[in-house]
Amino acid sequence: MKKLWYIATKDLLIVAKDRGAWITLLLTPLVVIVLASLALSPIYKGGSLHATLLVSDLDSGGVGKQLVSALAANPNMTVQAATEAESRTLKRAGSTYSLSLVIPEDFSARVEAGSSVQLMVYDDPNSTTSAPFLKGMIEGTVNRFSAVEVAAKVGVAEALNQNPAASAASVAAAAASASSQMANQPIKTSEQPAAGTKPLNTFDIETPGFAVMFLLFGVMIGTEGLLEERDKGTMARLIVAPVPRSSILGGKLAAQFLVSLLQISLLFAAGHFIFNMDTGNSLPGLVLMVAITAYTATAFGLLLAALVKTRRQASAFGVLTILLMSALGGSWWPLDIVPPFMRTLGHVTINAWALDGIKGLILHGQGFFDILPQAGVLFAYGTVCFLAGVKLFRFRNA
Amino acid sequence: MSEQIVKAEHLVKRIGGITAVDGVSFSIEPGQIFGYLGPNGAGKTTTISILSTYLPATSGDALVGGFSVRREPLKVKEIIGVVPQEIALYPTLTAMQNLRFCGKMYNLQGSMLDGRCREMLELVKLWERRDSRIEEFSGGMKRRINLAAGMLHRPRFLLLDEPTVGIDPQSRERIFDTIFKIRDDGTTVLYTSHYMEEVELLCDHIAIMDRGKIIAAGTLKDLLKMLGEGGMIELEVSPPGCASGLEEAISRLEDVTGARREENRLFISSVSSARTLAPVMKLVEAGGCEVSSLELYSPNLEKLFIHLTGKELRE
Ligand SMILES: Nc1ncnc2c1ncn2[C@@H]1O[C@H](COP(=O)(O)OP(=O)(O)O)[C@@H](O)[C@H]1O
Ligand SMILES: [Mg+2]
Repeated sequence: MKKLWYIATKDLLIVAKDRGAWITLLLTPLVVIVLASLALSPIYKGGSLHATLLVSDLDSGGVGKQLVSALAANPNMTVQAATEAESRTLKRAGSTYSLSLVIPEDFSARVEAGSSVQLMVYDDPNSTTSAPFLKGMIEGTVNRFSAVEVAAKVGVAEALNQNPAASAASVAAAAASASSQMANQPIKTSEQPAAGTKPLNTFDIETPGFAVMFLLFGVMIGTEGLLEERDKGTMARLIVAPVPRSSILGGKLAAQFLVSLLQISLLFAAGHFIFNMDTGNSLPGLVLMVAITAYTATAFGLLLAALVKTRRQASAFGVLTILLMSALGGSWWPLDIVPPFMRTLGHVTINAWALDGIKGLILHGQGFFDILPQAGVLFAYGTVCFLAGVKLFRFRNA
Repeated sequence: MSEQIVKAEHLVKRIGGITAVDGVSFSIEPGQIFGYLGPNGAGKTTTISILSTYLPATSGDALVGGFSVRREPLKVKEIIGVVPQEIALYPTLTAMQNLRFCGKMYNLQGSMLDGRCREMLELVKLWERRDSRIEEFSGGMKRRINLAAGMLHRPRFLLLDEPTVGIDPQSRERIFDTIFKIRDDGTTVLYTSHYMEEVELLCDHIAIMDRGKIIAAGTLKDLLKMLGEGGMIELEVSPPGCASGLEEAISRLEDVTGARREENRLFISSVSSARTLAPVMKLVEAGGCEVSSLELYSPNLEKLFIHLTGKELRE
């Protein structure tokens, strides 16, 4: 038992001295968490992405104007009046735009008659910036407008510069869910957070997701350390010394567990103290989840070491598995937004169970007892990996 | 029952399709430096792995300090020290950190551990560099630390696997001094090498190994006797074929203890090369041969190896 601890402290010393390890463990995840939180904040919050839309209102009636003012009411959009020719070419007064809308002459008449109309949306297929996002906003506005206010069937088709057929169907389909009756008075909409909720901090979403992913990348340091010890002959030195194999493996795993625990704790601490990430209502719950996640990640690292032959294989296979688990398991985007079968499939991963528990605490106000099922499943997951890893790991190179 | 520190009996180790060790038996007396000489791939490391309990033998057994490597590996581990062929150290840790760690694995602690680390580092002349990382050391310095790490705990029996491969002459001297020193302190040493000069210099008893088998064993003197006491003459003659039958005539000469021919090369051992040379040359000329090369030497292990296997020790 003493020797197990000596082996663990030796490994901790090696990691402590390894600058590359700390980049993987802390710096890289922090950079990714900050970038993702800042970049994705408009999507989660409907926030600050802004664009200008060219609009040619050819409508002789009043409905077109109502649509334009509804669009202009969107805080993310500036509406710029333009001639039809300018809209078609996406060029006006020397500037180039990525999207334009043409409201046809008979718009009001057709809406009032209850027949279908076509709104023309022009975009630049080569513009990768805000066009898709803007289209979404137009679509949304038209839908709301047509459904509640215009009460007519409004079909919106999109005419692309190069390929008119391509995505017209999608926009038309979205807009075709219009309703039946027309009202003259525009209805104002306003959004307000529901009672008891708080303004969203994207760090609450991104920190746990990426922390769990980089925790898994972090255990690969231990996996490679284990294989390196075997390859470089230091494992042989330990085997011919009076040291039980359980102490050799136990020491190395204990060190990796402590490194993982420190890593995820520091990432959460940074999220909380620097970026104001919420830590939920149950600190014991969070500590439990974090510890079990570190345990399971460590066991995963052992299983990886047991399944591969070389360090090269470990890193290739490890990176692939971790990226797959992170994508499937909700490290990159919340599993709430994926189709149900993907959500089910996602729960083959460590990430999903860890994040269910952690996000339950941080985002959904759950308490210690609410997350015990997730903690239990994750612990069982880790234990299966651990037992399989111990059984399959070879102390000598074949 | 047995005084011997090692008694290996019919050790066999098959790895994959290869028989790396093929029925090896030998014994080592306490206080000896036992040389285990053989070319690369002979099975030296595999033998050491069995004796040190790293690998189980396919068949056969060895007693180390009276304990069976097969049945009492833990007892064996406690009395041996192993210096592996590869540098088995943690490159980012310092010399001192590496040694302290190794010492702890052998239950050394406190002032005892500190004392031994210092003693060993002074012995291999690296005390001043104790706080440098292993990765900053030269190959020879790494080898010296590798050696120190294996004997820190004063094992009764030390197994050295080619401890001088690829190092500077100075480090080699230091390693030899160290080995003599610990032998004098009572440690028995198994010294593995493919350098015959080293084995000649260091070892009391020698086993020569090739292709998994011990092909000759004994003291240096015993072994060299196999080549004749006095000296060796090696002749290359032309034209091809002229030498056939010549070895028989030569072996009947006075003072000649052995003659052997391989194609147009003649190997002659005799009590005295100086006295034998003239009559040999006479016979060669009489046979219609011309000498294209001539070499005189005293017997050594290299020549013995060639004599026994028909190939060079070093490839
Ligand atoms: N792990 C292994 N896998 C396959 N062959 C091996 C292995 N270890 C040793 N051998 C083979 O066994 C023979 C003896 O090897 P070894 O004991 O290392 O020789 P030496 O130490 O004398 O150079 C060689 O032919 C070598 O290729
Ligand atoms: Mg070898």
